Amino acid sequence: MIDLLTLSIVILSLSSLFLPLFQLARRPSRNWPGYILAAVLAVVLLLVGTYSLSPQRSVWFGSLLAADQLGALFALVTLGVTLFVTVASFDTVKGVNNPVYYSLLSFTALGMLLLSFSQDLLMLFVAWELMSLPTYVLAGFDKNARSNEAAVKYAIIGAMSSAIILYAISIAYGLTGSTLISTVVKGFVAQPNLLTGIAVLLFIAGFGFKMSIVPFHMWIPDAYEGAPTTISTLLAAGTKKAGFIAAIRVLLAVSTLYIITQNSLFTIANVFAVLALITMTLGNVAALTQKSMTRLLAYSSIAQAGYILIGFVPFAYNPQSMAATVGMTGALVQIVTHAIMKGVAFLAAALVIFELKRGDMGAFSGLSKRMPITAFTLSISFLALAGVPPLAGFWGKLLLFLSVANSQFGWLAVAGILNSALSIGYYGLVIKRMYMDEPESNQRVHEPFWYIVIFAVAVGLIVGIGIFPQPLINFASGAVPAIFPK
Amino acid sequence: MSFVLSLLIFLPIIGSPLVYLVTRLNKKWGVSFSAAFATLILVVSAYVFWEVFSNTPAIGQYALVENYSWVNFQFFGLNYLLGTDGLSSPLILVSALLTLLVVIGSRKLIDHHEPEYYALLFLFEGAIMGVFTSLNLILFYIFWEVVLVPMFFFIGVWGGPRRKYAAMKFIVFTFVGSTIMLLGFLYVYFGMHFSSFNITDLSGSIPAGLQYLPLLASFVGFGVKLPVVPFHTWLPDAHVEAPAPISVLLAGVLLKMGGYGFLRVSLGLFPIAASQYAWAFMIVGIVSMFYGAVVALLAKDMKRMIAFTSINHMGFVLFGAFATVVSGNLLGIQGAIFQMFTHALAIGCLFMLSGYIHHQAGTREIPLLKGMRLTMPRTAAILVLASAAAMGLPPFASFLAEFLVISSGISAYAISGISILVPVITAAYFLWMIKRVVLSAPEGSSSVHDMSRSDVLAFAVYLVPLVLLLVFSYVILTPSQPVAQYLWSLAKAT
Repeated sequence: MIDLLTLSIVILSLSSLFLPLFQLARRPSRNWPGYILAAVLAVVLLLVGTYSLSPQRSVWFGSLLAADQLGALFALVTLGVTLFVTVASFDTVKGVNNPVYYSLLSFTALGMLLLSFSQDLLMLFVAWELMSLPTYVLAGFDKNARSNEAAVKYAIIGAMSSAIILYAISIAYGLTGSTLISTVVKGFVAQPNLLTGIAVLLFIAGFGFKMSIVPFHMWIPDAYEGAPTTISTLLAAGTKKAGFIAAIRVLLAVSTLYIITQNSLFTIANVFAVLALITMTLGNVAALTQKSMTRLLAYSSIAQAGYILIGFVPFAYNPQSMAATVGMTGALVQIVTHAIMKGVAFLAAALVIFELKRGDMGAFSGLSKRMPITAFTLSISFLALAGVPPLAGFWGKLLLFLSVANSQFGWLAVAGILNSALSIGYYGLVIKRMYMDEPESNQRVHEPFWYIVIFAVAVGLIVGIGIFPQPLINFASGAVPAIFPK
Repeated sequence: MSFVLSLLIFLPIIGSPLVYLVTRLNKKWGVSFSAAFATLILVVSAYVFWEVFSNTPAIGQYALVENYSWVNFQFFGLNYLLGTDGLSSPLILVSALLTLLVVIGSRKLIDHHEPEYYALLFLFEGAIMGVFTSLNLILFYIFWEVVLVPMFFFIGVWGGPRRKYAAMKFIVFTFVGSTIMLLGFLYVYFGMHFSSFNITDLSGSIPAGLQYLPLLASFVGFGVKLPVVPFHTWLPDAHVEAPAPISVLLAGVLLKMGGYGFLRVSLGLFPIAASQYAWAFMIVGIVSMFYGAVVALLAKDMKRMIAFTSINHMGFVLFGAFATVVSGNLLGIQGAIFQMFTHALAIGCLFMLSGYIHHQAGTREIPLLKGMRLTMPRTAAILVLASAAAMGLPPFASFLAEFLVISSGISAYAISGISILVPVITAAYFLWMIKRVVLSAPEGSSSVHDMSRSDVLAFAVYLVPLVLLLVFSYVILTPSQPVAQYLWSLAKAT
């Protein structure tokens, strides 16, 4: 079974390295690199999917990587998002540089794949960089000032977060003499002291930049707005999830053993709870006032990160409890469904921005008359993001709020519910704009074939998971035991 | 296991895209197809009603139960559990009947985006059936939320001048209310160590300490829908802006979700807390009754007046339901169920009529409509009859409903006798409206088209059952008795 995953890594490495060769062709044929990458990603998804049918835990590459259900879940999500982004780029990314574009996408996918299975802090860091570095370039891929500004901002913040993670790793190595996550975790728990606390906080900060947790979120709206919107999709639905797997692998593993701190105020659970509260509240409140679609999506993405963090709280508090299982299952379900919902919302916005050459809210007025399929997809994904049942977004939220509903973190459930109610304000406003306002012109706008394919698949998934959530919930709850360090 | 209730839910939902396609092909066919389809659903719901009437389930039992495992992992479980009893079967019947009447009534009043309109109409109907038949709290919540989406579009796309504002206000109010209600459900489930979401399992087994906060949460959720006074402000806007057929659904069907929720969930699951604080709910009910009546008295827009009549009449439902758990006088709950049925028909008729008058006369302002007895004699006759039905004049069954509720209220607290003033105010504003609109002298030589004979027939469908129900009231009161008995036994057990 492990061979399937090794094969995936090899295939993705090859595609990353050889796609730029298309640049040498005398007459660069338009979309071949894109088609090849899409095929490669589809094959890799198939391989990882085959593995995840019967996920046996096993270690390979000298315990740098370990295959388990948790890793498979994240690999499927992040690779799936990359596939969506690749397909969406067929129509919008043209020009001489497109082999490089697809090669960078491929590198990012490879980084996310490795990150999903990392069991060692150094491997995790290398995968983290492999995932991040190409996205700095991709964010600046549009040759205009805004895109470049976004790329620079993103690169600087990214470098800072990498440095913070590296610093935390160095503390961890200094304290425990190992970079293997399970050894580090056991070392931390054996001798909790000020330095371990600092290392944990540094990890939270470092991963928090990618996860878009609130005090580390300020780059998100600018980067998402300035970057090509297809790349914003990758950042919001793909690399952000990679931040979550890193946090789960390192931080929640610590909390499975770190029960000593339960009695004091400054516990990991309390830190997560406060971060969840401010993240979702700030995200939702800021989203209410946005005038640009990508910024709205960026803030809503921050808010969703807050919801996901709710699930970490009962787990960090007492990993053996029923609430912890419910919470982590909810967090994993939400991570999967959020990738689909937010991914397709960003791609729909990308299409509108590409076709109408503007991204402010005015572009979306009366969109149902101009681009009916896009407007419909956007509405479904927004309703799902707001948590309206029976769409996919409902189940994650249900489990997340349930996991803290009647405990000492009950206030978090109240805050989550109120935030959820608040979010219908801005999601509803966009739907109102698209279906009830008058468009500036009644001219139909072309909706490219590949986008329609993506929209159909995504809407099918959103509705399908909403009505039959059992397979996804089973898979997510089966991945929870993998969090406990072996 | 029976499958009738699933049929009732999924027939409309699956029919919705079919209706869309047919209407897109040809609008005339679409309306006829929709009407035929709605008739089919009405037949199924009539079967459900008949089944409950002829084999009334015993106290605390449900008829036509369906139970499948739906979502499970480890200790977490959700069932697809459906069932009906004397509480839900009248609401199922009246919802199906109103949907059919709305399809017929929309023919003239809806003139753009017809395919989407009729498709959403059936999505709405399916979700409503789901709300009234679900016996699992999460399933109930899901259908509850699905109802919002078509209604949001109905108001926002087909509504009047301030439709967008009204649609946003509607969705924000109801969504906030229902998410708070969901939080209450989660609180109970977590507190009971993830035992079950089934109403059948939870009823009577929730410890008292777990009942107070969820009761409050359910009060917010159902109170917004009913609506009761502090949460009612979305309703006048929604009603005034919604197209007339949608107002019929809004008042006739959507508000009943609130009343149903109070009976099924607030009283059924949290009886200890509910009977302890019944006086508070009764006060809220009385305040809603008086408030609705007094504001209706001042309204100039006919539709706004009818909208406030709804708040007034729905106050009776809340009042009657909670009067029973204080006094043990079952007539309160039975009257509440009866009131929901009669109000749906009477108010539906009035709203459709207001849409008709607006369409023909170009205005709904009461001071501007004059001399209708001469200009539109048939319309005027129907208006007088429908008003009589709404104010509870004896040939119409609304009289019985209000009588039952008030008598039960008096047996709970004698002071509730003041509620007898509410029908008086109601009669006053209806009569005043009739005086100004029907009996006044016509202005100028306005040539207004009266309704055709076939339209009169459509309106008779609302009113004839109301007269018959006064005679054959047992078709609703008999099946509702075990329900009232059960809810009272839960409250009494404290």
